[in-house]
Amino acid sequence: MDPTREAELLMTRRQLFGNTTLGIGTAALSRLLTVGGLGSIAGLAEAFGEQGRHGIPGIPNFAPKAKRVIFLFMSGGPSQLDLWDFKPKLAELFNTDLPDSVRRGQRVTTMTSGQTRFPIAPSKYKFKQYDNGSDGIFVSELLPHTASVVKELCVVKSMWTEAINHDPATTFIQTGSQIPGRPSMGSWLSYGLGSLNDNLPTYIVLHSKVSSNKPNQAVYPRLWGSGFLPSEYQGVAFRSQGDAVLYLKDPEGMDRETRRVMLDNVEALNHQALGHFGDPEIAARIKQYELAYQLQASVPDLMDLSKETQETFDLYGKEAHEPGTFAANCLLARRMVQKGVRFIQIFHRGWDLHNNLTGDLPSQTKDVDQACAALIKDLKRTGLLDETLVVWAGEFGRTVYCQGPLSADNYGRDHHPRAFTIWMAGGGVKPGMVYGNTDDFGYNIVDKDGKIIDPSVEDFTPGAVHVHDLQATILNQLGIDHTKLTYHYQGRDFRLTDVHGHVVKDLLK
Amino acid sequence: MKRSIPFFGLCISVFAYALAGHQAPTSSPKLVNFDRDVLPILSQHCYKCHGPDATKAAAGLRLDSFSSVAIAKGSPEKSLLIHRVSDKNPGSRMPPEDSGVKPLKPNEIAIISQWIKQGAQYEKHWSYIPPTMPKMPVVKNLTWSKNPMDRFVLAKLEGTNLKPEPEADKDTLALRASQVLTGLPPSPAELDEFRRDSKPGSYERYVDQLMAKPSYGEHQARYWLDAVRYSDTHGLQLDNERGVYPYRDWVVRSLNQDLPFKNFIEWQLAGDLLPNPTTEQRVATGYVRMNLTSNEGGAIADEFLARNTFDRVDTTSTVMLGLTVQCAKCHDHKYDPIKQKDYYGLYAFFNSTKDEPLDGNITLPPPFIRASTPEQEARLVAMTSKLMELRQSVDLSKAAAQITAQKVAIPTTKGWQISPVYAEKSFDEAFDRAEAPESNTGATVPWKPFDFEVGKDFANIVKIDNASVYVRGTVVMPTAQTFSFGVSTDDAVKVWLNGKLIHSHKIGRALNSEVDRVVGEFKAGENELLVKIINGSSIDGLNIRLFDPNTKVLMDALAAHQKSPNTEKSKIDLATAFLELGPSSDSSAEYRTLIKERTAFEGSIPMSLVAEEMPKPRPAFILKRGDYLQKGDMVQRHIPDVLGSIPAGTKIDRLGFAQWLTSPANPLVNRVFVNRIWQQYFGTAIVKTTDDFGSQGEWPQNQPLLDFLAVSFAQNGGSMKKLNRMIVTSATFRQSSQITKEKLTKDPENRLISRGPRFRMDAEVIRDKALYSGGILVQQLGGRGFKPYQPDGLWEGASDPASSTHIYEQDHGMAIYRRSMYLFWKRTAPPPSMLLLDAPLRDTCVVRRSTTNTPLQALTTENEPAFLEASRTMAQRILSQRSDDAGRLKFAYELTVARAPKPAESELLMKGLAYYRKKYLADPASAKKLISIGEAPVAKGISASEQASWMIICSTLMNTDEFLTIH
Repeated sequence: MDPTREAELLMTRRQLFGNTTLGIGTAALSRLLTVGGLGSIAGLAEAFGEQGRHGIPGIPNFAPKAKRVIFLFMSGGPSQLDLWDFKPKLAELFNTDLPDSVRRGQRVTTMTSGQTRFPIAPSKYKFKQYDNGSDGIFVSELLPHTASVVKELCVVKSMWTEAINHDPATTFIQTGSQIPGRPSMGSWLSYGLGSLNDNLPTYIVLHSKVSSNKPNQAVYPRLWGSGFLPSEYQGVAFRSQGDAVLYLKDPEGMDRETRRVMLDNVEALNHQALGHFGDPEIAARIKQYELAYQLQASVPDLMDLSKETQETFDLYGKEAHEPGTFAANCLLARRMVQKGVRFIQIFHRGWDLHNNLTGDLPSQTKDVDQACAALIKDLKRTGLLDETLVVWAGEFGRTVYCQGPLSADNYGRDHHPRAFTIWMAGGGVKPGMVYGNTDDFGYNIVDKDGKIIDPSVEDFTPGAVHVHDLQATILNQLGIDHTKLTYHYQGRDFRLTDVHGHVVKDLLK
Repeated sequence: MKRSIPFFGLCISVFAYALAGHQAPTSSPKLVNFDRDVLPILSQHCYKCHGPDATKAAAGLRLDSFSSVAIAKGSPEKSLLIHRVSDKNPGSRMPPEDSGVKPLKPNEIAIISQWIKQGAQYEKHWSYIPPTMPKMPVVKNLTWSKNPMDRFVLAKLEGTNLKPEPEADKDTLALRASQVLTGLPPSPAELDEFRRDSKPGSYERYVDQLMAKPSYGEHQARYWLDAVRYSDTHGLQLDNERGVYPYRDWVVRSLNQDLPFKNFIEWQLAGDLLPNPTTEQRVATGYVRMNLTSNEGGAIADEFLARNTFDRVDTTSTVMLGLTVQCAKCHDHKYDPIKQKDYYGLYAFFNSTKDEPLDGNITLPPPFIRASTPEQEARLVAMTSKLMELRQSVDLSKAAAQITAQKVAIPTTKGWQISPVYAEKSFDEAFDRAEAPESNTGATVPWKPFDFEVGKDFANIVKIDNASVYVRGTVVMPTAQTFSFGVSTDDAVKVWLNGKLIHSHKIGRALNSEVDRVVGEFKAGENELLVKIINGSSIDGLNIRLFDPNTKVLMDALAAHQKSPNTEKSKIDLATAFLELGPSSDSSAEYRTLIKERTAFEGSIPMSLVAEEMPKPRPAFILKRGDYLQKGDMVQRHIPDVLGSIPAGTKIDRLGFAQWLTSPANPLVNRVFVNRIWQQYFGTAIVKTTDDFGSQGEWPQNQPLLDFLAVSFAQNGGSMKKLNRMIVTSATFRQSSQITKEKLTKDPENRLISRGPRFRMDAEVIRDKALYSGGILVQQLGGRGFKPYQPDGLWEGASDPASSTHIYEQDHGMAIYRRSMYLFWKRTAPPPSMLLLDAPLRDTCVVRRSTTNTPLQALTTENEPAFLEASRTMAQRILSQRSDDAGRLKFAYELTVARAPKPAESELLMKGLAYYRKKYLADPASAKKLISIGEAPVAKGISASEQASWMIICSTLMNTDEFLTIH
């Protein structure tokens, strides 16, 4: 739209709505969350009168199955062999060497490359078969609650990644590149699809407390950053200590009325400046100050769990009462979904069990198991599961061979990028599904006949799911052709899936 | 298939296209220019398959060269290209449906047709042709321009029928110039002086004054530090602290001293390879070390060698060349003539530095140097020459006599015994635990006779790790005396004389690697000497020398001097030993004090990471798909063909590369740099894509202007100050930034500079300005990054507990009020208020920050403690320095927006003030709470309600668009 016209329009609206209190004016203004962040206020008219902020033209490319995503990220690399990928034959191979025919010269990290042996460590945990509505699925005794919702889950046992260490692998699954600088998945969605709500961020990140006192892998803003996209699309990390959103609270000694008067003055001064300079950017700033005022009310309301029922707390477990636990975060995620947050990313750390795995893994699963199941059930009973895609994944899996001392009761496992397990639920993926197979060692991806598959990055390999394939599939559920959500930067159209990625249609309803 | 496009329609389309011109309008709109008009279309629609990537040249057809069979010069209707792209049948149309590339629009086809009609002349992409001084454009308005640069801007405006805006008023100019040059507003005194100066050239003088301030270099450096991704941590995994801030301070110093651009670039890329490099030239190579590093458990060194080198190549090409070479990491560049081989040719310049690919998780992964500034170096030199003076003043014959007289007899010893070995769990315990021989518990020690002799090495007496053994003997002294002797051990040692501990040294070392000088009060006759040797690991040992080690040093020096009395070295060595260890005298006291001072001073100078070249370069290979495991052909260091080559006779190394970069033949470096400077001053650059001057980048909005700037920059010896001065004193820059409706339509983004600059300031400038208005900004140049207020848990919550930057320890006092460019920058958790205001993470090269406008930014400037504290101290300032409300408001306006309030503004804010006063007079407790924010002392003698009320007024001003914006 013509910028002069935009400015005029805005002025008219201001006169319509007045500028003083929380009347219709601010409510309407608040719909314009972050419109025109880059200096223009293009799209303002479209955004007006309708909830949320628009994405980019042409996106979604087709009718979406899911509107929202909750990504439960298990940072550190959970052991698929002790949780999902049941390998009963390994029991007899305890402490025998991993055959070369299995390892096939594939690289290992420098934490175990110096080991003289690669002795097999069978899982200590019992697996039980559960009815998932199709062929059944074995689940470890460590995940009793998750096992109770397997009818809703689409479990992928043949995920693989290219990176072998945490930092690159985590950056890869979050941003589609091992090297920092690319936008995270949530930023891409925020950019492409826009917002579903009036007064909350589009992309929210939650960090969870970890019960075990093991050192944890770091997670950091680049994992939810906007890379080369404008920074308004970055994830907003909500905090469980202090203000949920940085600098949300007014200082002590300033009440809401005083803030209102102060903001009214700021607005009046800005209007005078708008009159003087005629810069539409001033109009945009006026709007942002009003939205900030709105956020100060909407965020505390979102974080307030006091109105949740006992039944709900029973579902998530008593930890949900404690802010910052994974359980509390899952409950918050459900609330955010209800309020139209597009992408919610929950981080849980501490899965990097190189040694004393059996000492620490139970505490990890205890942190997340009940809440994962509760989230699925809660979304289901509130009718949100169909339109919400839930993803549970780490950055890679763990080796069948032991790192460090090995006994029947305890062992450690190194990073394993060649095959690991993730699950999805809701959002148009097939419930009760198990996709992909691994060999008897959980080391390589195999086809139906047990033949090793060497998946390629270049082409889709049926039976194997590359990180870019997962990303393409998630985007697909949101109505996006992953090759079409692009951003022109440094002479190239970049996308989340780089130049790869295929939608894994077998996973979809 | 015969279809030709009606010529008439074609002309119309081309004409319309040129008029709609988001691209540069030309004097003759009908003439199509290959590089400007045609190339972007071919590049966007065709080059994916038919471009410079030779391996992909589908059907053997390339549309980037002269020999294309698809083009019949002069006859669009006979050209296959036109037929295929305008084919109505999607099945046979180019680009193919399944290519993911959009079909050409009719006006795009028209442009290509026109180009073919003109004769289909290919041209080299504009940015690969070295710039030449353009002809001075002819303009109608002969009075407006203040310097030649203005004529280039004006010509463009006149071509679009726009008139420049009148000059902004003096106050606005004063604020604008100060903020863009130094990142700070002018002080009230500077502002007054400028206002009073009514002589011609007052503005130019004012600008010169600004550029002479140290804050100029600080502010200018910030842009460079974004580009080179400067930070205080390694950036990956643990993200430990990194010792490289002297590099940051060097950048500031160089800009303040206006180091010529050529040196600025060469020192950073290859200072270590210059002949006899100075400390500064070596510190500058911190640039090469600025890539992210890791030492993650399990990381593979070869993988990180490749990653680190990619990072260096990609950054260097973006910062210096404005080229996005990284596409060529995996395959020949699809759009620009950069082959994969060329990428690895650049790679080969950067893969052979001595630093290990993995950083060891330490602050200073070698190589590093003590990064003394020239001033510090001068002081060190002065100290050294004073020391030399003192040495030369020693009377050597007197010294010789005194040393000879000092000679003492070695006392006799007897009855040496050894204890059992005491094993502990750790070295610490073995050192600390008082075993029976030293404890007074009365436990008997099964001493065994020990065939010990002073002055001889006794190895392996402890034998096991983390254990200790005791040795004791009797020393017979002829008279009671203070006696010094030497003890050497492997590893640690404790010594008791007659039951009293006289020496303790906890260390891991080899025997005789050093000798501890032990001083004891001996009595006449028999003395009991007890020595504990603590072994950490492997070999251990003991040697006791019963004479003063100093005496030995002195005697050795004397002997050496007597052997060759006439060499300078023997003279100096003797004098040095005599001053250091000989009898006390005035000159020895002075000497020893100076040595101490020098050591302390040297210790206060920080270390900084530098680049050093391996003696023999590592071979470089093409890495297929950029994968370090898939080595292809070996490649030699070279420059991409299209950009020329390293001049003959120049060494093919980083220095040669740097010299090629800064040579006049290089088409890009100066353009890329002046373009970014333009962006600093006008918000958007002449080539908007500051990071891409390739065929996918934007055609320059005004190429003659860009080339004029680049060429005159070079002609001025690469003086950045001259360049900045030319821009800031131009009529272009001085225009008012008011936007008329006409210009909002014709020049919405101010790309033509039809008015003065107007854009939100960067995060750092906003915080600095707030602190400056509050009178609490501390302007201390350089030094380690500081840590101000920060919400709890931001570092702790997300980092690895093993990281050296896991716990955020806030600084206090003056440190927290320093300029934002000195904020301690942790790459995985940068200062939150900076991030919210669009500062980049500094993990990749950023030459163009995004400027967004979000509610979270409003919350930051409303509620972040530093902003609130600044509004509080500003309130104190105006309350204590002005006596009435009108005067106070006027002062508040002066401090924040450098002008007087308008009547409407006064009226509004006075109403607000009345409201706050009423509120806080009734509720003094809340007023006290409000003014307790921040660590700066609260003013006494001014009522809390008054301070609180004015604090809100100040905060109001700091949140206005006018405060946050360059205008």
